[in-house]
This record gives sequence, C-alpha cells and structure tokens, in this order.
Amino acid sequence: MKKKNQWWLCIAPLYIFTLLFVLGPMIYMVAVSFATNNGDGYGFQWLFTLDNYRKLRDPVYLQCFKQSFQLAFSTTILVVLIGYPFGYFMAKLSARGKKIMMFLIMVPFWTSSLIRLYGWIIILQVKGVLNTVLKAMGLIEKPLKLLYSYPAVLIGMVYALLPFMILAVYSSVEKMDWSLVEAARDLGASPAKAFATVTLKLTLPGLLSGVILTFVPSMGLFFIADILGGNKIVLVGSLIQDQLTRGSNWPFAAALAVILTIMTSLMIFLYRKITHVKDLEGIF
Amino acid sequence: MAGPAVSAADGNCEEACSQADGYTSEQLLIDSRKLCMGVGTPKEEHMKKRLLTLGLAAFAAVSMSVCAGAEENGELVLFTWEGMFPQEVLDTFTEQTGVKVIYSNFDTDETMLEKLAQADGGDYDVVIADDYIIEQAVSAGLVSEIDKEIVTNFGNINPLYQGQFYDPEDKYTVPYGAGIPLIVYDPELVDFEIKGYQDLWNPELEDSIAITANYRVINGITLLSMGKSMNEEDVSVIEEAGQKLQELAPNIRMIQDDNTQNALLNGEASVAFLYTSQVTTVLAENPDLKVVYPEEGLGFGIMGAFVPSQAPNAEAANKFLNYILEPEVAKQCMEFIGYYNTTGAADDIVDPSLVVPDSVSKGEIIQNVSAEADEAYNKNWTEFKAACGE
Repeated sequence: MKKKNQWWLCIAPLYIFTLLFVLGPMIYMVAVSFATNNGDGYGFQWLFTLDNYRKLRDPVYLQCFKQSFQLAFSTTILVVLIGYPFGYFMAKLSARGKKIMMFLIMVPFWTSSLIRLYGWIIILQVKGVLNTVLKAMGLIEKPLKLLYSYPAVLIGMVYALLPFMILAVYSSVEKMDWSLVEAARDLGASPAKAFATVTLKLTLPGLLSGVILTFVPSMGLFFIADILGGNKIVLVGSLIQDQLTRGSNWPFAAALAVILTIMTSLMIFLYRKITHVKDLEGIF
Repeated sequence: MAGPAVSAADGNCEEACSQADGYTSEQLLIDSRKLCMGVGTPKEEHMKKRLLTLGLAAFAAVSMSVCAGAEENGELVLFTWEGMFPQEVLDTFTEQTGVKVIYSNFDTDETMLEKLAQADGGDYDVVIADDYIIEQAVSAGLVSEIDKEIVTNFGNINPLYQGQFYDPEDKYTVPYGAGIPLIVYDPELVDFEIKGYQDLWNPELEDSIAITANYRVINGITLLSMGKSMNEEDVSVIEEAGQKLQELAPNIRMIQDDNTQNALLNGEASVAFLYTSQVTTVLAENPDLKVVYPEEGLGFGIMGAFVPSQAPNAEAANKFLNYILEPEVAKQCMEFIGYYNTTGAADDIVDPSLVVPDSVSKGEIIQNVSAEADEAYNKNWTEFKAACGE
C-alpha cells in the first residue's frame, strides 16, 4: 500500500499543475465569455449574458473568421505541397544525409521567430534585397511593393510552419515498411499507383498530423500578419488581442477564444477519426 | 479607474516613459490597477502599497526622499515623467530663487493620480501630466488655482492651447508642450499638394499611406474631414464616418504605432500620418519631407503643469510655473523634449519645426466618450482594418 501511495505522489505535481494552469484558465475563459462587459474602460460584471456570442454574428467579425480560415487554408495547402515531397525524400537519404538535413532544419529555431520575420522584411522591402537583385538583373524598372501584402504574409506563414510538416512527414515515411511498396510493384502496380495506394495511405497519419500542426497554429499566428502584412489583415488572433487591450472587452475576447478553441479541437477530433491515431505524429 | 488612454499625445508620452525604464506603460498601468483593488484599512492599504512599491527599488528611493524633503523649506518637489527637463534649466531656477528642485518621476498618468490622491494633494509642489488625467485630478479636488500675482508670464501662453476641456477657464494649468499627429509626405513621390485629411482619400495615393494605430485618432481625423468633432457622440454620425473610413482602405500601405516614420524613410510609403516625436525624428533624417498642418483642424494632446491642492511649497511652485513660461526657458525645454511649443512668446526663438503656423487656429483634444460611442469607434476600426486586408 505504502509503495503505491508514493508512486502516486510522483505524478501528482504534474496533475495539479495541469489542473491549475490549463484547466483552471480554460474554465475561467469560458465563464468570462458569458459575463457582461462594463462598457466604460476596464472590467466586467458576473452577469450572465449571451451578447458576446450574439455579437459574433456581426459581418465584420465573421469576416475575421473567414479571413483567418482562408489564410490558414492557403498556408496549409502550400505547406503540404512543399513539405510532403521534402519530408519524403529526406527520409530516403543516407543516414549521414538525414543527420545533415535535420540539422539544417533545426538551425533556424535557434533564432527567435520574430527576428527571422524581420529578416523577411529586409528581403522584401522596397529598397530590399529582392528588389535590388531584380533591378540589377534588369527584370524590373520600378521596385515592386512586395511587403505589407497578402503574398508577403503567406510567405511568412509558410516559412514559419514548414518545418512542422517536414518533420511529421519525415517520421511517417521513415518508419514505413518499404517491402509493402515492393510487393505492390511486384504485383504489377505502376510507381504512381503504388504510391497512391500504399505509400500515401501509410504516411497519411504523418501528413494529416502535419496538416494539423500547420492549420491550427496558423489560425493564431497573428504577429506574422501584423509584421509582414502591415497590420492590415485582421485575424481572429489579432482581434482577440485587440479586444483584450485596446478595446478592453474581455468577455467578447473570451467568446472569440472559446470559438477558436472549439474550431481547433474539432480539427484534432477529425484527425483522430480519420487516422485512428491518438497522438500527433512527428512531435510525440 | 480611468478608461483607456486616448489622448492624442499619449502615444508619445508613453513612449518616452517606457524608454526611461524597462517597464512598459501597460505593465505599470496594471500595477496601479492592482493597487486600487486591494482591500483593507487605510493604514494597511498604505503599507501594502509601500511594500509593492519597494519592489521597484529606485521608485521607493525617490518616494522616500520626497517625504523627507517636502518638510523642509526652500525645496520644490517636481513630479512628472523622467526626462522632461534639461538639468541646466532646473539648476538655473535654483540659482535664481535658492529653491532646490527635487525631481520625482512617475511612469503613467494613472500612477501619478494614484499617488497624488494618496497624499491628499500634498507631498508634491508641481505636477506635469496629460490633459485627460488633469481633468480627473481637478474634479477630485487635488489641484489648486494658479496664483496669477506670481505667474506674471501667464500671458506668454499660446491661446491655441488654452480654454481646453480640462481647464476651461484657465485657472489651474500652464501648458507644457503639445503633441500633434500630423501628415508628412515626400513631395518627390506625390504629384499634388496635400493640404488636409481629405487629401488622404485621393485615389492617386493608392497603397502609399502609413498611419499610426490609435483608433480614436484615425476615427477623429475622418470626422474632422467631414466637418465634425473628433469627440462625436452621435452613433449614426460615427457610423457614417466608419463608411468613409472604409473608403480610405485602398490607400493604406501599413498600420503601425511604433517607428511608423521608417516607412517614409525606407520608401515603403510616400505619405504618413505620424505622432509628434515621429515627425521630429523623420524630419531630422530627411529635411526634404513636407509637413502638413491639416486645414480641417488639428487633433492634439497637451501636457499641463499644475500645483496640487496641498502643495507644501505653493509659492515656490508658482514661481516655477512662472519660470518655465519665460521664453528662453521654454525654448530650452521644448527643444529638449521635442514637443510643440505652447509658450507663444517663445515662438520666435524656438526651433521652427516645433511651432504650429499661425494659419492653424483650430485644435481639438480627444476625450473619453460614452460607452456606446466608444463601441462604435472600436467597430469602425475593426471594419476599417478588415477592409484594408482585402
């Protein structure tokens, strides 16, 4: 009996921590989303209301969700198109090649993502690297306005999230049983067919895990839209921040956060349904 | 507590404060709010506050010296943001009057009001803070009238900055610098002359304007361009302004509060709507840029000096106010802080870029509005930003 108790004590701090700092704030957030905003300045009252959710139906806020969704969607598509082949071929490299690739993927993480984003500003700005190069090559006469545009934001998003897709696909392809592909080929499948019926299916958990790891954060990575988009694209993330600080409407911010949380949970739920895998591949 | 800080000059003041120490003004705002929420007997309350204050060692040191110093004669406790006066100016005052100046600083307007209220309008002799907080201090009875027998230089003040909402009869305050957001543009890249806010809507400026991110200021200039007040309370008029603001969206290149002026310098934007400190910075870098004092009128924020109701050394305080209104002193001070000169008598000697031209006679300060109006302003801003992203 005593032994059992001691063992329980070892993991207790973890549970207490989770309850206190994850579940606690979540409950608080949901509770606040039903509270009434004071209107003048800061603070809210514990009066039950659905107004915060009703307010979400306003076209301007729906527009924010739509914009966030669109950006997340385009980002994910691009990341899949670049990241899947990358991860696939990386898994086929020699052991040494894999090590070098992995190292190269990891190196940028040693620098703050914010600083790396500012690097993109240097590349994209009017008097920046890209415009200078294009001009020197005689391809353009007047510098292009590349920064503070939708494509600039998209570049930043893809850049920030690509590694997650690569790693997820890589880990999936790497542990794949290649003899199954060989068997398919022996039985007469063309390379394309073997890929579609065997490889793709076996690596689907990795691919979908990459999709989740790209899609979910891209709903919230509003600082990229702020820095590279010149603050012009209002994502749900920036709307929440806005409501918490300048707008000082905490209940509405909480309602937005609740909806965002539900949407992302739904994504993870779908992932489990489709793949029958419990954990996201590539990070666990 | 006070609503969100909306004074037009505020952005600049906060900038200056947060530079002064590692804290952001928001953090301190939160600190001061926490202080207000504590409960207990006044004495415990005081102790608690002291304990919290002790956390900021430097802060504590200053407040101690304030308490000790104010009891002696011949001293003047000046309470304002850090870096508001060149040291020579204070030294000269001491030489002339024999009154020693003790410089005590606060980080945000809210902290100032909190401390002043705690001291029941005592402890400090001269306070310099933003317009909207002075209004609150006056209504809380923490401000005493200026002794115009001593402040003989009162006539030196530029009337543009007088009779404002926080002191309609000019009884309590001496303005000490104004922040005015202005339009700055590069005449080489813009083919027509920009005269006012309305010109920002010109289709020729497509994707070329950088603006600051203060929602009330941007709503305000839209209202001014429609001939309305920046503090419009009528929701239907605000909504109309929202419609007009959305039409500005195609011309917006970027929306940013910090270092907005860089967009002009690195060629990202050809027109910018900037805070005072940004205007000063950008002109120092590129004097060829043109500054526009919009014909529809200015929106500004004023910093004002006042004497607290129970100032230990009110006579010296009034002498000090008189002193800072001397043209030569005003010149030194304004050039030091880089804000618009409010002492009209110094206009001829101060750096010309800190003088508002005579043609400008209209100016308005952004004030707190009703909750409904504020909500409408917020919505306009969100809609505007969404329109910019399309």
